[in-house]
Amino acid sequence: MTGYALLIPELLVLLAAFWALFAEKLPGGDRGAAWLGAVATLAAAVIVAVAPLATTGGPFPRMLAFDGPARLARIVMCMLAAVWLLWTAGRGQGRVREAVSLALFALIGGMLVAEARELVTLILAIELATMPAYVLIGYRRGDGKGLEGALKYFLMSMLTTLIMLYGFSFLYGLTGTTRYSGMDLKGAGTLGVLAVLFAVVGLLSKLSAAPFHYWAPDAYEGATPWAVAFVSTVPKVAGAVAIVRLVSAIAPGVPLAGTVLLVASVLSIVLGNLGALTQTDVRRMMAYSGVAHSGYLLLGVAALSIPGSAAAIFYALAYAIPSMGIMLITAEEGSQVADFGGMAQRRPATAWVTVIMLFSLIGIPPLVGFFGKLSVFTAALQRGFTAVVVLAVVMSVVSAAYYLRIVRAMFFAEEPAGHLGVTRNGAAATAIGVCVVAVVALGLAAGPLLASIGVVLR
Amino acid sequence: MLTLIVFLPLLGAATIALLPKGRPEWPKWVAAAFSAVDLALVAWVVYRFVPGGGRQFAEKMAWIPQFHISYSMAVDGISLPMLVLSALLTFLAVVASWKIDSKPKFYFAMLLLLQVGTNGVFLALDFVLFYVFWELVLIPMYFLIAQWGGPRREYAAIKFFLYTLLGSVFMLVGIVMLYLKTGTFDMIRLAAIGHLLPAGLQWWLFLLFFLGFAVKVPMWPLHTWLPDAHVEAPTAASAILAGTLLKMGTYGFLRVSLPILPAGFLAWQWFIALLAMISIVYGAAVAFAQTDIKKLVAYSSVSHMGFAMLGIAAANVIGIDGAVAVSFSHGLVAGMLFLMVGMIYDRAHTRQISELSGLAAQMPVIAGLLAFASFASLGIPGLSGFVGEFLALLGAWGSNLPQWMVFVSALGVLFGAAYMLWMIQRVIMGTPSHVIADCPDATPREIFVVAPLIILIVAVGLNWNLLLNYVDPAARSLVKLMGV
Repeated sequence: MTGYALLIPELLVLLAAFWALFAEKLPGGDRGAAWLGAVATLAAAVIVAVAPLATTGGPFPRMLAFDGPARLARIVMCMLAAVWLLWTAGRGQGRVREAVSLALFALIGGMLVAEARELVTLILAIELATMPAYVLIGYRRGDGKGLEGALKYFLMSMLTTLIMLYGFSFLYGLTGTTRYSGMDLKGAGTLGVLAVLFAVVGLLSKLSAAPFHYWAPDAYEGATPWAVAFVSTVPKVAGAVAIVRLVSAIAPGVPLAGTVLLVASVLSIVLGNLGALTQTDVRRMMAYSGVAHSGYLLLGVAALSIPGSAAAIFYALAYAIPSMGIMLITAEEGSQVADFGGMAQRRPATAWVTVIMLFSLIGIPPLVGFFGKLSVFTAALQRGFTAVVVLAVVMSVVSAAYYLRIVRAMFFAEEPAGHLGVTRNGAAATAIGVCVVAVVALGLAAGPLLASIGVVLR
Repeated sequence: MLTLIVFLPLLGAATIALLPKGRPEWPKWVAAAFSAVDLALVAWVVYRFVPGGGRQFAEKMAWIPQFHISYSMAVDGISLPMLVLSALLTFLAVVASWKIDSKPKFYFAMLLLLQVGTNGVFLALDFVLFYVFWELVLIPMYFLIAQWGGPRREYAAIKFFLYTLLGSVFMLVGIVMLYLKTGTFDMIRLAAIGHLLPAGLQWWLFLLFFLGFAVKVPMWPLHTWLPDAHVEAPTAASAILAGTLLKMGTYGFLRVSLPILPAGFLAWQWFIALLAMISIVYGAAVAFAQTDIKKLVAYSSVSHMGFAMLGIAAANVIGIDGAVAVSFSHGLVAGMLFLMVGMIYDRAHTRQISELSGLAAQMPVIAGLLAFASFASLGIPGLSGFVGEFLALLGAWGSNLPQWMVFVSALGVLFGAAYMLWMIQRVIMGTPSHVIADCPDATPREIFVVAPLIILIVAVGLNWNLLLNYVDPAARSLVKLMGV
């Protein structure tokens, strides 16, 4: 019975989500709900951090795992949500209560996705995590582009979920179980390959990895940068843990499993980086670069090894944290690259913070993004993917080309005419500050962190 | 000690960042103070350094023990001259930039940050640490070029950044592959066991590192970023770019490629010598055709660094002595040349050789200094430029490289004399052109900036052992390690 205490963080988030739903009638209103959400998610992160691991036991031991990867992912997702809610509490305008509660529901879904060790739980958790995301994308009701983006996301997501379900039915048919622990596809032949292929399609789409990434640029462009900040980060961390768990359960014994992932990885890295190169809208640029980063993450997964899996999970946070920070700054400044013009004069500290986060995404040491790339490449080279790694590093130079466009705008361009000034806001500044501190600190502490993921995955 | 030398400028940059905005005079004083102290510390290291005593001032502790990454630094006879260049040129660059009035905080913080990277590269003995410093250099240099550069600065800055990043990511792949084969990032340990790696693997690894280093040197045909970056960069950044950053490339060959991958090097030796030869002749020939005096100096860098690469390709003691001597001397000479060009441009507001003439009549001191730097560059015996090129050619002649390559390379010295003398003739001689009418001569500050360079150029030129005492033992142990 005490095992249920492990779900206290989820419960806290759930309570905050309900509070936000009825914020209209409750003291504090919309912003109060965001504040409460920020406090609840922060508390959840702290509780997860101090709670003991329950690798085998815990509540629902056949469905949920409370192991190291789950713990790390829950902490990071809760912190990301806390940052997002803190920013919302500071700068959120108008009717944000539904967004707050949607984000909190999506967070619970994301946490369950990271914990799921069984197919049906995974499907349910994924649905809980993505349903609110559709609404967040189309949050502005009168905005045609937002609705178009949300619809595209919804249709693509539904289609791939159905394919994934189809794959899960194969898995169940072949192994007679929906639990990861008992799955053994050895000797399943072609059917096993198809099962793996279909099963990962859904997660590839959730990670906006190629070739299922076409929804992302349109969906993000239609959404507010504020919504993108959440939708493009928190689900990716959950998705990374989920795909690592699923793949390490079903890939052994299936000959082409690694190849499928490797192809998706290469396609994502190439299409994402080349796609981002020509964008003038930060949301589209970050959508394509998110595709590319998912490709790097999948390169770790495709290595089908413990260091590779650890690297993939680590890469997810190395991507999500600066991405959150940059999208929040985009929400303040405006969604075009040109809107960043002259920022170094207007807001020098924020401009430098942006520089640090962009350099982390490029993979410049000693920031967290560098160690993410280093660990992924190490795992991939260990498996002999030398040519792919060379391609991947060359593509990371391409990524420097478009990330530097934002730097160039901030430092060497004029403020565009009619650009709205940004007022000072302590809560929002703290939120972005947390992101940049994490980018630097996790870079310096990358070793222990990576090792701890690797140890618990063993 | 070395940690202090590397990170003192970082402290300086942080101090500058915290200075109040309304005091544009303060940043340069802070920068000058920090870089002067740093130079003094380096001077102390030089004073206490025992020539022939191997690696000294070593510092080592675990950084990321899970991946065998350590924080490891030391200085030896090959890195010491480079460290001197880095510290000296940073200090001189700060003083040379005394008149910078646009965003002085940003500017001087970037100069000091740049020094963190260059000092660190020359001292790091752990590959991850080395790579951290290697990449750190890109960021301040990008901003220095893009913020204070010439009209095409943004293009030049991004080209510099992407080109060198492309080179270094290949190096990163090489570093990781080495780690996977040997289980260590320790460059000393790798140098001890590197020759045990299979020759085929060494061939590939050498290629990966070659791409990283050759872009930096730069060797033809990977040099195209250099003229753009040099021409657009502000004077001080040009001086550091030529004086220190290019040396990171040759230093990389000497610290990584030769000792760790001897078999890979042997397989590529001929090819490197060929590229070095082409760089020498091509750089000189293109320098001939330049109408912009700064571009002329930039292409002369390609040519001179070719001599350093020729010495490295020779891979014998004399050749390596020559390579380090060329690197050191070119740091002084090219640094000085860029400073002189900057002084002329500040006055005449043009760098076109055709528009400048009669410097000697209008500004005798500047003209004299320019002539001195040019003579040092073209390799007059008695000045430092001669030492390295002579040794590099001598080393190459005595090595197993085909002698026609050495012969063709030696022609580069002749070309070097020709384009430099022709430039001097057009710029210094004749009647003063209207662009330099009423221009004042060098100020005491400007003379102070180039004086240390002149002293070192003459001192090393007259007494080679001043430099070679330090370099030669290190070159001997390197050659012994390679077992060639």
